[in-house]
Amino acid sequence: MRETALSVPVKVWATACAILGVSLTANTLLTCFLALLAFCQLVFEKRWRLCLTFGVFYLALVLLLYLIRFHSLRMVVFSEFYVLMFYNLMPVFLVAWDLITTPPGQLSAALSKIHTPTPVILGLLVVFRFFPTMKAELKGIRQSMKNRRLTGPVQVLRHPAVTCEYVLVPMLLRCLQIADQLSVSAIARGAQSPGVRGSYYARKLQLADFLWMGIWAIGTILFFIIGGIK
Amino acid sequence: MIRFERVNFQYADSEAGVTDICLHVRKGECVVLTGPSGNGKTTLIRLVNGLAPAFYTGRFSGCIQIDGKDRSGEPLWKRGKTVGSVFQDPGSQFFSSEMPGEVAFSCENYGFPHEKIVLRTDVAIRRFRLEQLRDRSLDVLSSGEKQRTAVASVYAMNPPVYVCDEPTANLDGQGVKELREVLQGLKREGCTLLIAEHRISWLMDVADRFVYIRDGAIQWERTPKQMRLLPSEVMKQLELRAVQHCMPSRLSIPAVTGSPLLSLKSLSCKRGKHTIWENLNLAAWAGQIIAITGHNGAGKTTLAKIVAGLERPSKGSISLHGRKAGSSRRRKSCWYSSNDTGTQFFTNSVTEELFLGIFRTEEQLERARNLLKKLDLYAYKDAHPAILSCGQKQRLSIACGLLSDRKILLFDEPTSGLDGGNMRKIASALEDAAAEGKAVLVITHDEELIQACCSFQWDLSK
Repeated sequence: MRETALSVPVKVWATACAILGVSLTANTLLTCFLALLAFCQLVFEKRWRLCLTFGVFYLALVLLLYLIRFHSLRMVVFSEFYVLMFYNLMPVFLVAWDLITTPPGQLSAALSKIHTPTPVILGLLVVFRFFPTMKAELKGIRQSMKNRRLTGPVQVLRHPAVTCEYVLVPMLLRCLQIADQLSVSAIARGAQSPGVRGSYYARKLQLADFLWMGIWAIGTILFFIIGGIK
Repeated sequence: MIRFERVNFQYADSEAGVTDICLHVRKGECVVLTGPSGNGKTTLIRLVNGLAPAFYTGRFSGCIQIDGKDRSGEPLWKRGKTVGSVFQDPGSQFFSSEMPGEVAFSCENYGFPHEKIVLRTDVAIRRFRLEQLRDRSLDVLSSGEKQRTAVASVYAMNPPVYVCDEPTANLDGQGVKELREVLQGLKREGCTLLIAEHRISWLMDVADRFVYIRDGAIQWERTPKQMRLLPSEVMKQLELRAVQHCMPSRLSIPAVTGSPLLSLKSLSCKRGKHTIWENLNLAAWAGQIIAITGHNGAGKTTLAKIVAGLERPSKGSISLHGRKAGSSRRRKSCWYSSNDTGTQFFTNSVTEELFLGIFRTEEQLERARNLLKKLDLYAYKDAHPAILSCGQKQRLSIACGLLSDRKILLFDEPTSGLDGGNMRKIASALEDAAAEGKAVLVITHDEELIQACCSFQWDLSK
């Protein structure tokens, strides 16, 4: 666990502030202020890669907006509306992404602290496990289709429905199998035990957490004062 | 500690079950349930950890006492505090992608206070020497490390009884060794162990008694000493694996003539910056069965996939019949069947599976019929591949390879998790393939399989 990571309540708070700010503002272009705040948060957490990829994307959007506004650039595929929308929603994307990429253990700890029912928490943990498992599974299916010579362009184009079936049938069977194994494993390990769930990851709120909560609160208020409310 | 008294259980949705089980496992004892697959070992384990009849429903009669109490009335989650369960495939039962979260999972479920959870988790992680893996994602661990994590997560709850259901089915030699040490340690600490397993050689030093189960009933009990005295003919009849640990075999290159079917010239494989293996020069002739061996991560599966044209090497070339062959030509003449049979079958019946991509002629149908009879699958010819057992799926995959008319067949761990009977059936199927003039390459950790049928060995560890 990175020492610099903020705790889950702060991330939720930041997301709430960003959503509130973006949806109530009268000045859409000024959302770059909130985006800046969100980038600062990522930098603080030392999430460099996230910062870089989103940063490049954001700059591209800004450039497009500039070209559209001052050089009357016409978009062909991706309409101007979408560019503005993405630009506008960027602060929310940033903090929400930061939130959902929190290690699941910490998310479930935060949820059990606010007395979320155990089935909900287990469901969340399963969802987070599901994607990596399915990715590995799909790769296996693709290779064995290749081995069976079922991936040739002729085969796929002539029988698209059958090809879909070849992918889906083993996938679904595997899903059933995994579901079964996971429920057995959960039951044998006391998942049905009543009462509040404990947690391994418990982080007390630290100075940095309070600081960032404050920054977001003040930042959003300032943003409204400067930009105005609809 | 565990006492079965005239226990009968029959699953609600099938004929299978156990009858008239009387068994007493004393405190601190290690009892191994053995016998061919599908004869009731797993059912007994489920009866102890409570999954049967609570999760797997069925008719139950008799009495099971655990720790001196009849537990049939109490809810299932209470049982988890007394009985810890270790399953076959650790990878598919993890709830967390990080080690501490996974090890702490049971403690979290029982709502222990935070300090206690942290303490127990850290003790368990240290106890099983997992600290250096702590920050790694669970998905990248080796099978042995995963199984150790699974045991650690049970250990954190500190139950007096451990039940293991074929814990080595997905482990290689090193992983089995690690697990043996872990279980020996638990036994020293006074835990009671009940293990269902058909690989028995690794348990000879741990087990106090072997209980043989067949047709849902206990047939006999033997001590390890008595087990060692059983002649191999009897073991074969009992469909058991060898008692003695097979010595790693060193097979010499057989005298061959003519040009090789497959040859690798200075083949290298890099993934990222990491060199998996380099400068391999190997050849295979028709009629040979070659064992590809090597420790975990030595790149055995990668080599097989590259030969089969499913992945690309970083350097070097592969020739078939002395002619350089690109990956699409290799795909035409190589069959690869992966260790995970779950993703290999695409159709609704065994027969359709055999004829997937093959033109149905009267002659081919006849061949398929003979093949299924030989591999003991004929009774299942109209069954859905998903309902087959592990051994049957592996045999079906071999049958598909044989019928596909490809010259080179590659199999990835076809016998992992199979009992002695199934292992021998696979060995004879491979021999049949070689007799038909195919070159068979089989990745395996199974020394018994190597001794049973392989003519030559490629060791990637060197």
